[in-house]
Order: sequence, then structure tokens, then C-alpha cells
Amino acid sequence: MSKSLLVIGAGLAGLFASVLAARRGASVRLIAEGRGGLALSHGCIDLWRDGELRFSLARLDRSHPLRLAGWPALESAFAAFLEIMHEARLPFAGSLDRVWRLPTALGATHITSGAPVSLASGTLDDPEPISIGNLPALRDFSAELVAAGLRSQGVDVRGIVELELPQPRSPRDLYPQEIADLFDDPDYRAQVVSAWKPKLRGVRRLGLPAVLGRDRALEAFASLEQDLGVAPFEIPTLPPSVPGLRIERALRRLAVEAGVDLIEGPSVRGEVDGRSAGKRVSGAVGATAGGPRGYRAHAVLLATGGALHGGWLSFANGEVQEAVFGLPIETSEDREDWAAPTLYQEQPFARLGLRVDARFRPCDRRGRPFFENLFAAGGLVAGSDRTFEGSRQGIDLASAFAAVEAALS
Amino acid sequence: MTTRSTQLLVIGGGATGLGVAWDACLRGLSVTLVEQGDLGQGTSGRYHGLLHSGGRYVLSDPASAADCRRENALLRRLIPHAIEPTGGFFVSTQADSPEYADEWLVACGRLELPVDEIGPATALQREPLLTPRLTRVFEVQDAALDSFDLLHALARGVTQAGGTVLLRHRVSGLVPHGGGLLARIVSHGDESAFQLEAQYVVNAAGPFAGAVAAMAGVRLPLALGKGTMVAMASRLTHTVLNRCKPPHDGDIIVPVGTVCILGTTDVPVRSPTDLAMEAWEIDLLLSEGQVLIPTLRRHRALRAWAGIRALYRPAADRASHPGGDRASSRLGTPEGHPGGDRGATRTLPRAHVLVDHASTDGVPGLVSIIGGKLTTYRKMAEDVVDHVAALSRVKQPCRTASTPLPAAESRHYALDSRPIRLRSASPVDSSIVCECELVSRPDIEDALRQSGSADLDDLRRDLRLGMGPCQGAFCAYRAAAVAARLLSDPPADGGLAAFAQERWRGLRPLAWGRGLRQAEMLRRVQVELLGAASATADDG
Amino acid sequence: MILPSQTTPKAAASLPFYDSDLCVKCNICTAACPVSGVTALFPGPKAVGPQMGRYWQPAHPAVDPATTWCSGCGVCSRVCPHGVPVAEMNIVSKAELRPGPRLSLRDWGLSRPAEVARWMRPILPLARIALRSAVLRRLADGLFGLAARAPLPDVAERPLSRTRADLVRREPAPRAADPRPRVAFFHGCSTEDYEPWLGQMTVQVLENLGVEVEIPPQVCCGLPLQSNHAFDAARQRARRNLAGLLPWVERGIPIVGTSTSCTLALKHDYRAVLGLAGAEVDSVSEGTYDLFEYLVHVLLPGLPDLRLQAVPLHVLYHAPCQLRSHRIGSPALQILRAIPDLRLEVSQTECCGVAGTYGLKSERYQVAVEVGRELFVQARTAGVDRVVTDSETCRWWIEGHSGIPSIHPVELLAAALGLPDLRRYGMSRP
Repeated sequence: MSKSLLVIGAGLAGLFASVLAARRGASVRLIAEGRGGLALSHGCIDLWRDGELRFSLARLDRSHPLRLAGWPALESAFAAFLEIMHEARLPFAGSLDRVWRLPTALGATHITSGAPVSLASGTLDDPEPISIGNLPALRDFSAELVAAGLRSQGVDVRGIVELELPQPRSPRDLYPQEIADLFDDPDYRAQVVSAWKPKLRGVRRLGLPAVLGRDRALEAFASLEQDLGVAPFEIPTLPPSVPGLRIERALRRLAVEAGVDLIEGPSVRGEVDGRSAGKRVSGAVGATAGGPRGYRAHAVLLATGGALHGGWLSFANGEVQEAVFGLPIETSEDREDWAAPTLYQEQPFARLGLRVDARFRPCDRRGRPFFENLFAAGGLVAGSDRTFEGSRQGIDLASAFAAVEAALS
Repeated sequence: MTTRSTQLLVIGGGATGLGVAWDACLRGLSVTLVEQGDLGQGTSGRYHGLLHSGGRYVLSDPASAADCRRENALLRRLIPHAIEPTGGFFVSTQADSPEYADEWLVACGRLELPVDEIGPATALQREPLLTPRLTRVFEVQDAALDSFDLLHALARGVTQAGGTVLLRHRVSGLVPHGGGLLARIVSHGDESAFQLEAQYVVNAAGPFAGAVAAMAGVRLPLALGKGTMVAMASRLTHTVLNRCKPPHDGDIIVPVGTVCILGTTDVPVRSPTDLAMEAWEIDLLLSEGQVLIPTLRRHRALRAWAGIRALYRPAADRASHPGGDRASSRLGTPEGHPGGDRGATRTLPRAHVLVDHASTDGVPGLVSIIGGKLTTYRKMAEDVVDHVAALSRVKQPCRTASTPLPAAESRHYALDSRPIRLRSASPVDSSIVCECELVSRPDIEDALRQSGSADLDDLRRDLRLGMGPCQGAFCAYRAAAVAARLLSDPPADGGLAAFAQERWRGLRPLAWGRGLRQAEMLRRVQVELLGAASATADDG
Repeated sequence: MILPSQTTPKAAASLPFYDSDLCVKCNICTAACPVSGVTALFPGPKAVGPQMGRYWQPAHPAVDPATTWCSGCGVCSRVCPHGVPVAEMNIVSKAELRPGPRLSLRDWGLSRPAEVARWMRPILPLARIALRSAVLRRLADGLFGLAARAPLPDVAERPLSRTRADLVRREPAPRAADPRPRVAFFHGCSTEDYEPWLGQMTVQVLENLGVEVEIPPQVCCGLPLQSNHAFDAARQRARRNLAGLLPWVERGIPIVGTSTSCTLALKHDYRAVLGLAGAEVDSVSEGTYDLFEYLVHVLLPGLPDLRLQAVPLHVLYHAPCQLRSHRIGSPALQILRAIPDLRLEVSQTECCGVAGTYGLKSERYQVAVEVGRELFVQARTAGVDRVVTDSETCRWWIEGHSGIPSIHPVELLAAALGLPDLRRYGMSRP
């Protein structure tokens, strides 16, 4: 009989884990209280802030999630993700041994190990000068800020091109994903091309806000590249960030196609198997619109996130508690010290989470797992301030991969 | 270096200083006011928004209560557009002494303070979140006063009346000079300086008054009391709520615009820049607030900040009695009760003190005004200008009680006006930059053109940009984008890093539970997605 | 915070706590909203909901007029990672925009499907001609605002409760020691008055699976009234249903329905929107199940025991927005996946567009069609034989706009169980 896995949390870690497990033949159910992280992300795979992870890995704390996952798992996870994205028609440029330096919407540099091809062509290591396209209809992207920021780093920015969208001016501001939906339509793109092409004479590389299509991004980007006669690249905007949304949508579709039972909306309470003397979990109970509904599985994977989306909850009295099973989370700092004095430092609160063993099972200080069949992945795992380290997606993928391996073996 | 001259130099652009400048202008004096920062960067911009009915002081400081009552009525006529007539409740709960409520009521009567007792059921219907454990509720004339609107109106008034208001200018030197004083004034932007001769100088620099006086060689003994306040993310009450008990920390909740403010504490500090907030203060404000609104902790606390009140602490040999000469002040009776070390400054008289340094320190022309409360700023200013007018033999009487302040073209802060403005604006032009506080692109462009400064914090004070639930996570970038298009020399990161850090400071004391989510959201967007970095930010 | 001014103080006191300050402004709800995604007339659920809620004052309830574009599909509440009840806030605040206490004739009719059926029944042949006449439909569009091209269902000659009067009871039948599982069937107006054959089929399926079915006293669930802001009338219906269903619930007998909107009203809206409270509301909420939810969670844990015949159809399954709001996922999919030879595709579209009565209104029709366009195109492009969806309004709407017959999943289960020919029950095409 195939194993059943209950994944809780539909961020990158949870979605990726679900697809991996379903493709390995497990019967997978994914429950999530809402949607989260990917809409806020740049859509890239960050492994380590300076790109030197292979060398830095051994020097990380033994309990750091990347160290626990290990290089081979990271390699496999990375490769699997790239393959899945390729299948979903969202090709990535990625490598564990090199980084891409890409522009942000503020003109800063974002170092990443894997980027959608439409973003990767904006690499700042390419000496060819760039122009930045400005869409006045989009308030969530400013070509002036991009240009000013890049220039202050010595990047050769030739200029800014004003590019109006062809439709009659909308009566309200448009969000990035709404513009991206327009670009999915070939007729719309044709209008864009005739409006923009005359303005792009002499422009070679053109940075544009990441709104070039949502569900048909590959097509949209390729056709614009061909018809505009420039080498465009995308720069992620303020959230809702389309590159992140593309990944989310693709993973959800692939999950459902692989037979994952996707349940969105209920908050969830973990259940311990009453006949296991407290050694095993049996599943979880969802607080649906009506009564509670139980979901059982051979193994449960918590991918519920950290501070932002409620994987753990924190209280005024300084206590921190994991949200689904109520597992204790230790914190050595006083509440006042959870957030560092400046925004730009490493944050003690961001390192909070569940300690896990080598099989990504939440465990106590002595390494004894709380439950034999309970696993954790992603932001819920302790030991890393992923913003500060530049390690968010790497940890999501590697820990999800390792946890699924462990759960299904 | 150029030298200019003026009759009256006012140092400090808070409500006191601007009030003095306005009064003096109306009496025909030529006035120059300098403020080291932006309007509202000082104590006046950090207050909890209450236009006192006087009810708080009827037992502890009746003179002050009477002043509040009069000024409250006056200000409603003089600056209606900055005031939201919320009304106030004095609530006696099961935890409060019934005798106090009786005494309080009698005292209100004695002072002719308008009071109406309303039934508990009525009170709860009006304010559903109010504690059901209330015993008596009294309605008074408290209101919410927006200090930014007030300061802007005063500044506009002064300028229209012929005075000069110099923001972002600090006084770096002050010496006696020909019967008056000579001030050295430095501009914050380009550090250019000029000299200003003034016959009279009013030192209304609030917590910095000591430093200003020191420049003239005068020792001004101040007690600095820092008060912390917490804004809740939404208007949990539409009426000012007061506990009907001896006044102490954290017993007021004031609806101000889209939020409500819990206030305040009173912690002695040594330096006018010591604005650090401590965990116990936050916890105290939330706990006290919970007595009035039991579900308080289920709501999100948005942000915390502190302001410093300066009170005059005379030397030991100068007993706290009013002296015969006009140099000293009216010292009110001490307020409240001893609060141990923590409440030390709370026992000092809160009434304002005018110190004429001619007699006390041998520096003619220099007058310091310390203390008081924002509700009575006009009266304080009147006292000061009366004094200066007498010295300078200006015969004009005070006209501020009968001269309304100029209204703004648009009422940024008024709660109902923002959605209405939004809907009536031409859709193509009115891109919304700050979705939380409904600030449009034209609003920002106008403010940028007027101030010439791309400082996002200045925009925040002017327009409430970034003061809503997202605390600038999204709108700071958009505002910086507008500035980058409009101004010729914007900072490379649009000033985002510094602005985000400022927002972080106010989120940090509330960084647990939902507040922590908000802080993390700010970090995700600014640091991770945009790459704002500390190269351009101040630390701490 | 929003405190609706239309409710009585007592009801207001029992209203759920609309905590708009949980919103961190991430716009994830806006990104998922199917309406703001297709029209700039709607600024998005966050903008009209928790954002505008901060401007609410007792003296001026600050409701953005654009809130009327909200279709009530509920996607926003479901995707919010912080638990903000965005959809509920918007449903309630839309009521503030009602021009007056009386509904328009159209809204009155749309919110009372049972009454409308009852009046049409005596003149059924005439009514059918009228409904199918393009000229009369255009007239109705112009006069009353009933969208001319919105598909409307046929009224049945005999309601379910008459054809199956044998199942109708005032109280659960006393059973001494009967081990058979039993359910109370909440058919709702759609099955009772428009598609009694679906009710028949459902009863057959349940009986085939060994379940005894009873039909308790019930009236319209009240959701159409609620959607058209007639909250007091909706509450009246709600109270009658609570009273009628309570005897079953008290005995632990599940209430089962085939209409995902009716069951959502019983589970959720009575409490979260109409503000009803008390033990009976809670019991009914917890005791109500969508049909497939009942099968998967109560009757058939351990699906392998079910012997299903092959149904060689190519179908596209669309989970209605109301079903998603149950927060139980798509239980029908679990059973459909077990049917041999069934080629199953799954729609990613959040909402087909009709959202109950929204798409039937002239002023909303175009937007509603845009919302569902992606689904219609997917169905046609994939060349499926059927679109399968649990909600009746979705079925009529999708069939009308995609041209592909749309069926309730129970019809596939009936086929897989080898029950009598579906064509007898009025399915349009084989």
C-alpha cells in the first residue's frame, strides 16, 4: 500500500514537497490556511547571500537547515525544482556553482542561484549597457529608482524609455498581476509591440517590470523579444510579485494533476495517535466552515512557515509556540530583543523555529524527535534568518526534499 | 555671513513657538521663527491627540482644568478643521472608587465644566468595545486635535501675517548683543549660516530649551519626562475614553484619524533625544487600556513612539511659590499623586512657566517658556507675548482668541474627507500611493513642490504616508518613485532605507504576535525584495 | 471596524468580530480576486474591505460604492494568510449601499426562487415560452435588469417533496435498533423546484450505498436573500430551517445537501454573516455536510470498498467558489478519481462568474462572463464531454456559456454505481 502524506502549508516548501511526494507515488493531501510567501517573493532561488555556499556549508552550525539537509539533497532538490519548472513552461537558469547578480526594483543588486530565464537575462555581469522601461500605469515599479540605484553602483544605464500601455487608461491603478494577465493575450501583445517598437530604436537590453504574462509567460516573453527587436529582461516589482505568483500557480496545477488533494482555507490542529503511546501523529483536524474534519496520514509534514504566516505564534509574555501541534519553541532572548535595533541586521526572531533531527523531524534539545512520523520543512525550521543570509528558497527546497525522502522511506 | 534682523525671534516650531509667533504677528511685531527639524518632529508631533475638556484635572489641578475648558471652547472656533468633535467619556469601572466619581462630578460643577451622565447601556451602544464592567459614565467635551493640522495652520497663519518660518534651521549660537541678542542660524540642508539680530528671543524649544539657554550662558533647570504612546491599528473607539480616577499612566484612549492612541507614561530622562521605549511601558499601556477595552489585546497594536515633555524644575532654594516679580510664573498645584521613581516628573506642576532671563540671569531680551500642554498652547502664547509686548511697549492686545486660523485647502487628516476626495478626484490623475491612508500621487507632488525636500519622513508628517497598517512597506517605494520623477536630485535609494528604519523603530517595541508579522512584512519587502540596505540608513 | 447600521443593536452585539486590523496589506486577496482581475471597476477586496473599514465612523459608514461589484465568491477570505474575514466584511458593507429598504422587483424575484417557481408552476407552458423568447428576455433586461443572455433554469412541474412525499417527515422516524446510517436531505429550492430529478438521483445513490434518507421540514436557505442584502428576511428563513433541522441534528443524524451554496449557508453564513448565535446554530453548522463530504468523511472512510463501474467520459471538474468556501477541498474529486476510465481534468479557475445571482443581473453580466471566460475556454479547448461541478447555478451558467453539458458529480457516481439510465432524469445530452 502506498504511503500517505499530509502536508500542512502551501508555500514553496509545502507545494514542492507535495509535488515530489505525489510523483513518488504517495497519496498526498495538502492543507493550507491561506496563501503566502510566493506572492511576496522575487521568484528566484536564493541559496546563499554571497553565492559561496559550497564553501560556507561546512562552516555553518550543525543545526542549520542547509547543513542538516546536506549538499547532495540540495543538489537533488535544486535539480528537481528546475525540472519541474521546465515542465511547467517556466524555464529557469540555475546553478549551484555560480550566481546571477540581478537588479531589484530599487536598483540594488540581488544575488541568486536560480532565476527564471526572463529575469536571468538582466544579469549585471553582462557589460552591455541597459535601458529601463517605465510603465506610467504601474505605480509598483519605478524606472527612475532602478536607474538611480544601478548607476550608483557603476552600472551603465543608458536611459529610461517611457512605455505606455495600449489600452485606454484604466480608471484605477493596476496591480502587477493584472497587467501580467493582459500580456497573456497575443492580440494585446501585438498592440504593445506597435506602440513600443518606435521608441526602442537603439535600445539593446531593456529592463522591464516583471509583468510580461502570468499563465503564458514563456510565450509572452519570447514573442516580445522577437517582435520588439530588443533583449528584454524582467525586474520583480512590489508585491503581488508576478514571478512568485507564476511559480505558485504552476506548482498548484502540477500538484492537483499529480493527484494531490488540495484543501485550502481551514486552520489546522494536529492530532496525536492515541494508540501509539504518544510516539506517532495520526494526522490533523481542519476547522472547516462547518464542523471539524479529520485528515489522517502515515506521515505529516509541517511546512507552515515562520513569523510572517503563522507557523509559530508569539505572545506578549515572551512565549513562542508552534501553531499546529503546539510544540514548544525555545527562545533565549527576551521579547524586547527579538527584533534587532536596525532593520538590516540579523534578527533573533527570524532564527526561531523548530529544532529538527537529521531526518527533519522536530526534536528536543537532545535530538530526540517528538514524533516518529512528524516532519518539518521550510521557514518553520529553526536556525536561520533567511532574509539576512539570502537563503530562503534554498532552505525551502532542500528541507522539503529531505523531509519527503525521510517521510516516505 | 549675512546679518538679518527681526524684532522677535522664536526658537522652536512646536505648538508653543508657533502660537507665540502667531500672537506676536497679530500684534504687529516682526517675527522670525526657527525650527531645527520639520513641523511636528518635536514634542507637539508626538502627542496623543487629545483636546482636553479639563475633566482630567478638575481635582488635581483646577486652574489647569479651567484653562482647558476655556481653550477647548475657543479652539473649536479658531481651528475647527483640525478638531474632530469626538466627545469624551469619563468611565468609572468596578475597579474604581465610587467616591472619587462623586467628588469628580462635584468638582466639574464647581468649574462649570459641561458634563452629562449617561446610562451604561447607552454608553455601550455608542461604544460596543467599552468594558461592560463600567458603573458610571460621564460625557465631556474632550475632542481629538490633530497636531499636524494645527501646526500647519499656525505656520500658514504666521507666514500670511508677514512672519517668517524657517524649518530645518537650527540655532548654533546665541549671545547678548546691543540690548537684545544675536543668533547664529544654520540651515540643515546645506549647512549655510547667517546671523540674526533680535530684540527679543522666546525660547520655546521644548526639551531642547535647556540647550538653547545654555548657548546664551544661562542655566535653565528642566525636568525631562518621556512619555510613550501606542497607536492601535484601528479606531477601537470613536469617543475619547478616560478612566474616572486620579490621573496616572495609560488611562486615556484617544481616537485620532484612522487609529486610536493609548497614552501615556512618564519616565524621567536626561537627554532631549532619549526616546527609547521600554517593554514595561508598552505592557503597562496595553494593560491599562484593557481595563477600558477588554478585548484590546485581540487587536493589533500598530506602533509605539515617545515624546519628551519639559517641565521647569526650579532650584532647591527657589521654593515652589509664586514670586512677587513678573519673572516667575504661575505655578499650579502639584498634579496627581506620587508615583514612586517612575512618576517623579508627574508630580511637578504641569502649568506653564515663563522665565524672563533679564532678572534671573542678566540676559535681557531672552524669555523661556516651558511646560504646559498642547490644549492650552494659545493661552501660553498669550502670556508670553503679553510679557514681551509689555517689555517692548507694544500696545496691541492679544487677538488670537478672536482670529480664526487659516484653513487648509485640503483636510488630509479628517477621517471622512479622504475617501470622499478619492472618489471625486479625476481617476486618471489620482493614483493612490499610500493605500492605507489614501494618499494620492497629486497629494505627494504638491507636498514635494512646497517643501522641496524628498525626505519621506517629511512627507509622512505632512500626509500620513506610511502611517497605516503596512507602515510604509508598500507605499514608501511608490512615494520615492513619485519624488524621483519630480525632483532633480533624489537620493540613490529614494531615501527608502532611512525611512524603513524609522518605521522599524516604532514597530520594534510591539514585535510579537501580529505586530511581529507586520515587522517581518516590512523586512521582506524592503530588505529582501527591494534590497534596501543600511549604507544610507542611520542606526538605532 | 465595521458595525453594520442595518442590524438591530441586539444583532449587532452578536455579530462576529470583523477584525480588519489583522490585515497587513499584502494584497494576496487582491491577486486572487476573480472580479478585480477582470475589471478595473472593482478595486479589489482589500481596498473596499479592511482598507475602507478603517474609515468607518458611526456618523458616516464609509463604504466605497465600488463594493457593489464584489460578487461574494469568498475567495479573498479563503486565501488570506492572516485570517481577515474580507468577504464577510464586504457582504455586510454592501448592504450599506442599498438605495432603500425595498428591493427592486428584479432583486425581489432573484432572492426568492421558491416563490417564483410556485407562481410560475400554474402557468408553466406560458412561462417556458416567455423564458425562451429572446424578445421577452431582452424586454426583461431593459425593464427589470435581468440579463437577457443569462441562462435560467426550467421550473419543474412537481417539486421533489411531492414526488417523494414518502420521505418527508416532521421529525426523524423512531428507530429502535436500526444499524443503517441515516441522513436528512436538505434539498434547497434548486432541487425542490427546479431539478427534482437531481434529488431523486441523490436519494437513489444514497439508498444504494445503504443510507436511509429523510426529508426534514425546510424552506429556502436564505442565501439569495442575503446576497441581495435582505438580511432580516434571510434571518427569518434561517430560523425556520434551524427549527426544522434541529430534531435530526440533536440525534446526531447528518444533514446532507447537494447544493454547495445551501450547505454553506447552513454551515457558515448563518453565523458569520447573519449573526445568528446559540447552541442550535452551532449544532446545525457542525452537523451539515456537502453530499460528497458526507460520503468521504462519514460513510466511506476507506474508499477501496466501493465497487465502481467504468464511466468512459472525458470531464473537466470545477470546484464552485462556494464549495471552496466550505474549506474542505473538493471531496467529489476523491470519488471521481476512483471511477475507472474516467478522464478527469481539474479547473484552476477560482469562480465561474455567476456567483449565485450576481451574473443574472444586467449591470453585472458582462463582468461575470469575463470572470468565467478562462473556464469556458478551457472546457472547449480540452474538448471534454461534460463539465462537472457541485453547484446548480454554476452548472446552468457554465453550460449556457461553454456549450458543454454541465452535470453534478453525483450523476457520475450514479452512473458508476450502475443506477438507471441518466437520460431518464433529464440530462440534456449523452
